[in-house]
Amino acid sequence: MLFSFCPSCPLTPLSPSLSAAVCQCVSVLACGPHYEYAIEEFCLAKFRLDMQELDQRHWCSWEDTVEPYGELTNCTYLVALKMDCFWPNRLVDEFFIRVHKHYFHDCSMSGRLLRDPPNRILGPFIVVPILVTLLMTALVVWRSKRSEGIV
Amino acid sequence: MAIVGHALSIASLLVSLAIFFYFRSLSCQRITLHKNLFCSYVLNSALTLISLIAVVSNPEVVGRNPVGCKVLHFFHMYMLGCNYFWMLCEGIYLHTLIVVAVFAEEQHLHWYYLLGWGFPLVPASIHAVARKRYFDDNCWMSVETHLLYVVHGPIMAALLVNLFFLLNIVRVLVTKLRDTHRAESNMYMKAVRATLILVPLLGIQFVIFPWRPENRLAGEVYDYIMHILMHYQGLLVATIFCFFNGEVQAALKRQWMQYKTQWGQRRRDHCSMRSTSYTATSITEVPTFMYHHDCNSEHLNGRHTEDSELVALKTGETYA
Repeated sequence: MLFSFCPSCPLTPLSPSLSAAVCQCVSVLACGPHYEYAIEEFCLAKFRLDMQELDQRHWCSWEDTVEPYGELTNCTYLVALKMDCFWPNRLVDEFFIRVHKHYFHDCSMSGRLLRDPPNRILGPFIVVPILVTLLMTALVVWRSKRSEGIV
Repeated sequence: MAIVGHALSIASLLVSLAIFFYFRSLSCQRITLHKNLFCSYVLNSALTLISLIAVVSNPEVVGRNPVGCKVLHFFHMYMLGCNYFWMLCEGIYLHTLIVVAVFAEEQHLHWYYLLGWGFPLVPASIHAVARKRYFDDNCWMSVETHLLYVVHGPIMAALLVNLFFLLNIVRVLVTKLRDTHRAESNMYMKAVRATLILVPLLGIQFVIFPWRPENRLAGEVYDYIMHILMHYQGLLVATIFCFFNGEVQAALKRQWMQYKTQWGQRRRDHCSMRSTSYTATSITEVPTFMYHHDCNSEHLNGRHTEDSELVALKTGETYA
C-alpha cells in the first residue's frame, strides 16, 4: 500500500468513519483500482444489505429503491471527493452498470413495477364482459325457443 | 406433470371423436354438440402444451418478449372461453329440449355455434386490449393481476347459468315427467346426469382456488386435486360423455361382435363353407334402428312405431 500523500482529512459530520478509512489508502494514483475497491467495500456493502431487506419483487419499484440508490450514489461521490477524483468517472459508470445488471435487469421498459389500473377502470373492464355474456345467453335461449314456434 | 395430463386428455378426446365420427348411427344433435365440445378441448390442450413447452420453460423467450407469445396467450384465453361456453351450449340445448319445448323438432344449431365459437372472442379481445394498455409484462405471463378476471368472470357467469339451467331441468324431470311417464324421464335423466356431473367438476376449481389450506398435508392434497381438475379436464369430459355413455358402449360391443363373427367366418371359409357368411352379416345389420332410441326421442318426428306413446305425451306437455 502506498501511504505517500494524505491531504488534510477533516472528519466530515456525514461519514466520519468513511473519511478516516479512505484517508489511509489514498495515493497519488487514487482514481484507479483503489477507488474501485473503496466504493465496493464501503458503498456497495450497505446497498447490498438494504436491497436484501427489501423483498426481491420490489427491486423494480422506484418508490422503494430510491433511498438506497440515492445513498449509493452519494457515497460514490463522497469517496471520489476524498480521493480527489473527478466525479462521475469511468469507474463509477462501470460500477453502476454492474449494479444495474445484478439488481435491475428484469424490470420492464417503463421502469415501474407493474400495477393494476385503478378500480374505476378495472371495474368496467370486468363487469361489461359478464353482462354481455348474460345478455348473449339470454339471446340464445330466446332464439332456441322461437325456432320451435313457441313464443 | 401438466404435460402428461394434457397429452392424455388429447389422446382420449381424439379417440372419442373417432368413435363419434365412425359410428354414424350415434349421430344426432346432442352428439354434434359433444363433437364441438371435444374439438375445443383438444385445441385448448394443444395450445396449453405449446405454451408450456415453448414459453413457460424457456426464460430467454420470455426475456426476448416476442409478439408471438402474446398472440399465443390470446388464443389460449380464447380457447379457455370456448371450452366453458360449449358446456353452456350443452346445458342450454338440454334445457330447451326438456323444459321449454318437450320433444320438439330439431333445433337450429346456428346460435349454439355462435355462442360456442364466436362469442369467446369478446372477453379474450377485451383482455388483450386491457393487458396491453395497463399491465404489459413479458409474454403476459403474470397471474398477479386482476385483469385476468376479464376472462374468468364471464366463464364463472357461464358456469353459474349452466348450473341453474341443469338444476331447473332436474326439477322438471323429477316433478312433472315422473308423474306422467317414468320411462321417458329416466331416459332424460341419463342424458342430464352426465352434464350435471361435469359442470360442478369444471367449475369447482374456480370456487376453491383462493382457499389453499395452511396445513401441509391438506395443502398437498389440495394441490393434487387442483392439478387433476385443471389439467385432466379433457380426459374427464371424454370419459363421462363418451366412454361411460350407454349407447356408445352398445355400438362398440356391436362392432366387436361383428368383427368376431367375421373373423370366425373367415376361418370357416377356409373350410369352404361360404354361404353361412352372408346370413351372419345380415343378422348383425338388422337391429341398428333400435339403438336410435335414446337419441331419437330428442328429434321426434313420429317415424318409429314405439314412439307413439311419446307423441301423446308431447301433445299433453305443449299445452301444460
